[in-house]
Amino acid sequence: MGDVVLTARQVYYEQLNFWLNPIGAVFTVGFSVIFLLLVGSSAGHQRSSTLGGGLLISYYVPGFIAYGVMAACFNSLTINLVVRREMGLLKRVRLSPLPAWAMMAAVSANALIISAVQVVLVLLIGRFGYGVPFPHNLLALVVVLVVGAASFTALGLGTSTLVPNQEAGAPITSVVFFVLLFLSGLWFPLAASSGLAKFSSYLPVRHMIVAVYDASITQKGVSSWPWHDLVVMAAWGVVAAAVAARRWSWAPRQARSGRGRMLSGAGAAGRRRSQ
Amino acid sequence: MPAVVVEHLAKSYEGNQAVEDVTFEVAEGEVFALLGPNGAGKTTVIEILEGFRRRERGRVEVLGYDPANHGTSRELREQMGVVLQELAVEPFLSVRQALTRNAGYYPNPRPVDEVLELVGLSEKSDDRVKSLSGGQQRRLDLGLGIVGNPRLLFLDEPTTGFDPSARRGAWEVVRALTGGGTTVVLTTHYMDEAEALADRVAVINAGHIVAQGAPGSLGGRDVGEASIRFRLSGTAGAPPLPVAARVSGGGAYEIKTGREVEVLAALTSWALREQVDVVGLTVERLTLEDVYLRLTGHAPDAGDPSGAAERE
Repeated sequence: MGDVVLTARQVYYEQLNFWLNPIGAVFTVGFSVIFLLLVGSSAGHQRSSTLGGGLLISYYVPGFIAYGVMAACFNSLTINLVVRREMGLLKRVRLSPLPAWAMMAAVSANALIISAVQVVLVLLIGRFGYGVPFPHNLLALVVVLVVGAASFTALGLGTSTLVPNQEAGAPITSVVFFVLLFLSGLWFPLAASSGLAKFSSYLPVRHMIVAVYDASITQKGVSSWPWHDLVVMAAWGVVAAAVAARRWSWAPRQARSGRGRMLSGAGAAGRRRSQ
Repeated sequence: MPAVVVEHLAKSYEGNQAVEDVTFEVAEGEVFALLGPNGAGKTTVIEILEGFRRRERGRVEVLGYDPANHGTSRELREQMGVVLQELAVEPFLSVRQALTRNAGYYPNPRPVDEVLELVGLSEKSDDRVKSLSGGQQRRLDLGLGIVGNPRLLFLDEPTTGFDPSARRGAWEVVRALTGGGTTVVLTTHYMDEAEALADRVAVINAGHIVAQGAPGSLGGRDVGEASIRFRLSGTAGAPPLPVAARVSGGGAYEIKTGREVEVLAALTSWALREQVDVVGLTVERLTLEDVYLRLTGHAPDAGDPSGAAERE
């Protein structure tokens, strides 16, 4: 019971820290809304042959739901964790009585809450701004979002261990993320037979977009339960979690200039040995 | 029961021996300073005590716990405080929010207002962390270290980058804490800091403790040679000095002796008798810094490591 309260308090402070940073809040939450409004207003009324003659906006609403979850759980989380590690925040947490799992849970819950806010905003704007009906299989959508959030959170944890320093955190992560979004067809629907779709079907981003779409929009001959996409995302999540567990470091990777870190090998060894 | 016991501690990083054989004890309520140049192994020792790194060999006990034991690490962390070299607070929280959050991690925290008072941040309590000056951020760090009301506090170079008055302020906080019985283990580069705060110091060099003792007697600085310096005026017609002295440029005299009482008696009685003025008379022993530089092999004339051998 005490630990539940402890974790809940930690989530509260994570939220406080997130919303008190206006730039962070706008870049994370605002983007899904701004992108939806931009593409929705410019191209939303067009019909797409790839969608069997459907309106593009009915593709963009699920697309930006998927985007919101991935942005919060993967992109922001990765950058956030790298910054915290390099600032020494993770080390301080490690040396406090707050259990590691409570910190992880709070950080993940924080990403989940931010995702949920975006999902609701995008759904409401889609419904009342563009007349896109609410998702036809709400239960499937919730399952997709939960599995997707878990997988992309694991990917965020794993990717953060691959980023060497604070300066590289935002550029590397964001470039990778936006290239993946492009290849996976966030901005325009991909025909399933196209080379791009085949290539991006090996990556998790495409599956998240397709899964949210399938759960949201009724299509002839397509189940609203995208099992295949769920399995691929979950597999990526498991691999990423294994990378995170193996490479996780509480200590900054980069020695501070002028402040004597021991030997050049200290960081690498400490990474594995630090408990 | 001692607060900290370290016996034959050893740790290497990928074949490089960082700490070879370190042994010391810190008594409950004591302020213990670990001195040493960069790369000597200070931070490694501290991080092993904190449970952040694993040791390779040797025995370590902190407040009766093995810091490498996962099963008791939370209990241990509830009773210790840590002030790191890096500032590590989320920039958008206020000072009070950061302290209140961390207070919640501990079973018996110190009241947040008391901590604010102690570190002198009462007036800044509603300011965002990022708006604090460098010195204020370090004081917040100190506040986060003590908010859990720790029995044992680790301070890793607590005043590096402080201006002189901020350093005095930080020392006052540490003294106030130790007055309440908190044990402190600190690392520092500043000899005046070790002298002002520590009951006992240990000098670590190249992975070994090369000397330990009270700051006033480290390396035999309370015994052995003193250096007497003075100038003379009105010596015209007076007989020569009764003691052998070296004259340096500008008419300054220097006498190095292990029997300073006798030498001073001879010098001053001669001066009184002959009505010679002895100007700027000083008697100095080795400073802690002299001893430290000699022990760590960084002195310009590091030819005499005997003090180290005696004390080990």
